[in-house]
Amino acid sequence: MSYRISVDTGGTFTDMVVLDPEGQFHVGKALTTPDRISEGMFSALEVAAGAVGREPRDLLAETEILIYGTTRATNAIVTKQTARTAFLTTTGFRDILVFKEGGKHGPHDYSYDYPQPYIPRRHTFEIDERIGSAGEIVTPLDEAKAREVLETLKARGFEAVAVSLLWSIANSAHEEMLGRLIEEILPGVPYTLSHRLAPILREYRRASATAIDASLKPLMQAHLTQMRTDLQEGGFAGDLLISTSVGGCQEVESLVERPINTLKSGPAMAPVAARAYSAVENMGGDAIVCDTGGTTFDVGLVRDGQLVYSRDSWLGPQWLGDIIGASTVDVRSIGAGGGSIAWVDAGGLLRVGPQSAGSQPGPACYGRDGDQPTVTDAALVLGYIDPDYFNGGRIALDPAAATRVIGELAATLDKSVDDTAYAIMVIANELMIKAIGEITVNDGLNPRESVIVAGGGAAGFNIMPIARELGCDTVILPRTAAALSACGMQYSSIVFEATRSRFTDSNGFDRDGVNKALDEIEAELMTFRDGLAVAANSEISIEFFAEARYRAQVWELDTALPTTRMNSDEDVAALIEVFHQTHDRVYAVRDEDSPVECVNWKGRISIRPFDPPDAPDKADSHYSPDAATTRNCFFGDAAPVNTPIYRGETLNVGADISGPAIIEEPTTTIVVYPGMSATLSAAGDYILDCR
Amino acid sequence: MTDSETTLDPVLISVMANRLDGIVREMTNTLLRSARSAVISSARDFSCCLVTGDDKLLAAAEGLPVHIFGCHIQTENMRKYHEGDIQRGDAYLDNDPYGGNTHPADHTFMVPVFFEGEHMFTAVSKCHMADIGNSIPSSYFVRAKDVYEEGALVFPGVRIQRDFKNIEDIMRMCRARIRVPDQWYGDYLAGLGSARIAERRLEAFCEKYGKETVKAFMKEWFNYSERRMIDNIRRLPKANLVNKGRSDPLEGVLPDGLELTVKIDIDPDEAHIHVDLSDNPPSVDAGMNTSLGAATSAVVGAVFNARDKDLPRNEGAFRRLSFTYAEDSVVGAPKFPHSCSVATTNVAERLVNITQSAFAQLGDGMGLSEGGAGLGAGMAVISGHDERRGGEAYVNRLMLSTNGGPASPEADGWVNYAIPVIAGLMYRDSVEVDELKHPIRVESLSLVTDSAGAGRRRGAPAQQIEYGPTDGAMTSIISCDGQHAAPRGAVGGHAGTAGETWLIEDGTQPSRLPNVAQVHLQPGQRIRGRDSSGGGYGDPLDREPERVLLDVLEGWETREKALDIYGVAFSGEIDDETLAIDAAATEARRSEIRETRAP
Repeated sequence: MSYRISVDTGGTFTDMVVLDPEGQFHVGKALTTPDRISEGMFSALEVAAGAVGREPRDLLAETEILIYGTTRATNAIVTKQTARTAFLTTTGFRDILVFKEGGKHGPHDYSYDYPQPYIPRRHTFEIDERIGSAGEIVTPLDEAKAREVLETLKARGFEAVAVSLLWSIANSAHEEMLGRLIEEILPGVPYTLSHRLAPILREYRRASATAIDASLKPLMQAHLTQMRTDLQEGGFAGDLLISTSVGGCQEVESLVERPINTLKSGPAMAPVAARAYSAVENMGGDAIVCDTGGTTFDVGLVRDGQLVYSRDSWLGPQWLGDIIGASTVDVRSIGAGGGSIAWVDAGGLLRVGPQSAGSQPGPACYGRDGDQPTVTDAALVLGYIDPDYFNGGRIALDPAAATRVIGELAATLDKSVDDTAYAIMVIANELMIKAIGEITVNDGLNPRESVIVAGGGAAGFNIMPIARELGCDTVILPRTAAALSACGMQYSSIVFEATRSRFTDSNGFDRDGVNKALDEIEAELMTFRDGLAVAANSEISIEFFAEARYRAQVWELDTALPTTRMNSDEDVAALIEVFHQTHDRVYAVRDEDSPVECVNWKGRISIRPFDPPDAPDKADSHYSPDAATTRNCFFGDAAPVNTPIYRGETLNVGADISGPAIIEEPTTTIVVYPGMSATLSAAGDYILDCR
Repeated sequence: MTDSETTLDPVLISVMANRLDGIVREMTNTLLRSARSAVISSARDFSCCLVTGDDKLLAAAEGLPVHIFGCHIQTENMRKYHEGDIQRGDAYLDNDPYGGNTHPADHTFMVPVFFEGEHMFTAVSKCHMADIGNSIPSSYFVRAKDVYEEGALVFPGVRIQRDFKNIEDIMRMCRARIRVPDQWYGDYLAGLGSARIAERRLEAFCEKYGKETVKAFMKEWFNYSERRMIDNIRRLPKANLVNKGRSDPLEGVLPDGLELTVKIDIDPDEAHIHVDLSDNPPSVDAGMNTSLGAATSAVVGAVFNARDKDLPRNEGAFRRLSFTYAEDSVVGAPKFPHSCSVATTNVAERLVNITQSAFAQLGDGMGLSEGGAGLGAGMAVISGHDERRGGEAYVNRLMLSTNGGPASPEADGWVNYAIPVIAGLMYRDSVEVDELKHPIRVESLSLVTDSAGAGRRRGAPAQQIEYGPTDGAMTSIISCDGQHAAPRGAVGGHAGTAGETWLIEDGTQPSRLPNVAQVHLQPGQRIRGRDSSGGGYGDPLDREPERVLLDVLEGWETREKALDIYGVAFSGEIDDETLAIDAAATEARRSEIRETRAP
């Protein structure tokens, strides 16, 4: 008898998923307790343990593995509680973190200030040294001056040090030397060297990753250690794993060394869940995962059964925030959700968002002084939500308030209240359709050949019409949709990446240099594996990638290596061909005659410390369940439709439901639109047919 | 089912507008990511738009402001030149500044989009090419006395594809005359690919909604955009604004630079803005003449800078704007064969500044100050031969350092501004990427303390760069228009600082270079460029002391300037972070400054 627990602590809620020995998921949800995360976790455990029918302490004692996902690092950055960190860089380049990479939203928008750098200029120190692009030492490091700088840091009480020198990726000697001096002069002060953390070309990306990582070290070290102690005191004696931004998990020890990898680890798990659900339901290797929350709509992808990664992931808005630099699962966020506010612009058109009522005051129907019409208010007016059963009956809604605020908008538009509410849904759908369109198109994925996996509490209101607009026939909406990321952790592996920068091109391909880089990467990956306590005899897989581009392009594409080393001209030709195909898929262009440049090399090791939950036996007994009740719902026709309402917990495997219908689960509501249908699969997922 | 009187459901209008916006974004992303030259992929010197089959600008997304006006003239010419012989599968290239285009460096790719046999749209990608076959290795040739000396290959609405295949004659012409032709061809593929993607999407768009609904939509969308513009103009006071400015001198040609004038007639009753550009000097024997497209875009962009940030930029909004030009003028009315080589920068940059700051005459809360101007050393076009690659030729525009942006009534200036016509949209080059791609070493690159134009809102500070070749000679062509007339402040804000360029050689004194310079650097020699900074907005004495404190802590302004100009006094020290506002001393100092001002 043993359990496996995954926990996703978000800004508002802590989601817990318990996998029982029979392979069933049980969900527990509780409010996050930012001061001591484990308290919220234990509250969620009580709920989940209740669902399992065990005492929380017993359940925890019988848990073999606990996977913990946290927004602790992100929250620390947002609330500016990171360590007082010094940034050390090459003399003459103190403004790397100020300049960022340029780019701005809105060519005519002069209403906002230029963002502050991640580490202030007054905490930036120049080191006299310079390395050239070929790794040659142009100016030797001035050790005496460097010592002076470090003494200053000591005197001024810095808690962490980020070191990012120009071209340290070509020659790491100066960064290594600074590392030794830090250990000598500032013993015990955590530091990060850019060439070790993120050996990638482009000084801003490397510096930003280094600065973020160093600033998180003291805090995350304390947090993760505390979490382990709290769990042990709660009776937990199994292995603790932490989920990461590459859609995998790692041991506490390795994350304390690279805490940057915990950023965005929650959203990164949604595609992992999507990949698993799509496989369980036999829906193929291409999936779009949509997570609809109260204020944001997150979209991620699974392509050919693989997660999609990006190096262009930002804390805060693109260009204006701080780039993470390290590779992360590519998940894009737009400001659209249940709280998005509907308004009419000066030209008379209805708009939705980007302003949101958030959770305070929240939609008007929450009855907390919100007086702006939101998407949730529209869903209530349309009859999609039972005001007495919202969030399992935990929040009582005020339909009169929703009708009033939508009514005011309706008067401006000279439309009926129902029509206005429906129009709000249509416009909200549009924003989400565009967000999905941008990420799929950017990555050359055809929505028509993909399945959508929907998660988040508000997903069910409109995912079916969105799927139909995109030409996507099927949506998988798991019963556990509200805890999608925590579910994803149940299917995750231990994942670790190593990178080397080695520039070469197809005209004079440096096979030896590349093979040396790949050797180093593989050695780093194996060292990582050997250091693991959890997965001594587990199955491993290693993939290699080149970040490549056509000569003179600026942006690279991740290109999977068809062979593990470049031992012959054929191997090189095969790699170049994969690049042409990738470029053709993404940009619809192949330039056969152009040399291909490879900039960075990357290896990714995946280690399965545990098996994913078993897929259920296929059910074949379909039936039509009886509705619990009926309600008037509006679907954009002249009159409302008397619509059957189903209670999710009463439905059995094989239940077929034709639209119009509403399925109410405790933590999510599914609107089955007229002409569409839903079936409950053996695995406990709603399969929505959107044709 | 429909006739011209049909009105569409406003929700459908929103949905369709959103789809078109998505298509332009996809075009933009494709071009940005797949282009070869840094001028496109980093500096973002390109824009994508959709024009209707009858030549009205329909959707422009976040394109470069200086490209916004004129594409409809180019598509109109394309239809005129090829009347009766335009079909699906065609593509056209235009870069004729006398035919609606901005300047010859902007190669404009036009793909007519057909549905059920009818020409419904033209998809347009406009890309600044790194080289266009000029007589000097730069697509910016300030000193070109006419188009012949300029030497650009000009394509007036020339067909480059039929049945989706290249017309190889044209490709050979380009390859025969354009430096680093593979780079040009890569950018050609990217630009054309972007327009072709739009074609696919627009065909599906018409398929989905049907031709009549699409036509009805276009009409409604223009009307909606016009209503937005009407609303914006109605909220302005009635006024006649006149603003003047000056471009930098051009050695031996224009010793005093050019005096430029913009007159703006705002009529809120008629919801109309008229811009009179006729009071400007005649064409000059240099590449500084601004084409109709470039001059009008500069002014239209600046009008948009002064109004709601989400105004649709299309024909509907333009209906509420009108323009007059002189018969023969450096502003919007060049006379052939005068050169428009730098039509999108120099004079156009000044036009943006003059226009946006003219609105500040309406009072506090309106308009902007002037932004830093001029393509300085950090934005120069460099060329030479790379010994590391067997002497292979290279030519590219840098985007390593930029001017500081203007202050607005609400916000401080934008650091990564580039120039007024780019308005912060560009990406910066990575020092490491540039050093890898070209035999160049950057010695330093940083903000300049105390350089910003002071104000209640501060301009963005200047940046300074120093670089030189690592081996072999390198040519750096600098066509800067920002070293004499510094960007001015508005509503009591102070002026920014002008740029400077220096030649550095170890063991000798640095020597100052003119603003327009073609420099041949030998190994050991370096160039030092300082860009200009943005002007301030509002009285510096009204700047919140907390903002001044942060500026001083962060080294953007010194403690001395804080006291002298902002009237903010501090106690404590920067180094140990004990620096704090001395409220009493600040109040006293501010009163003192106010009293010394002339009444």
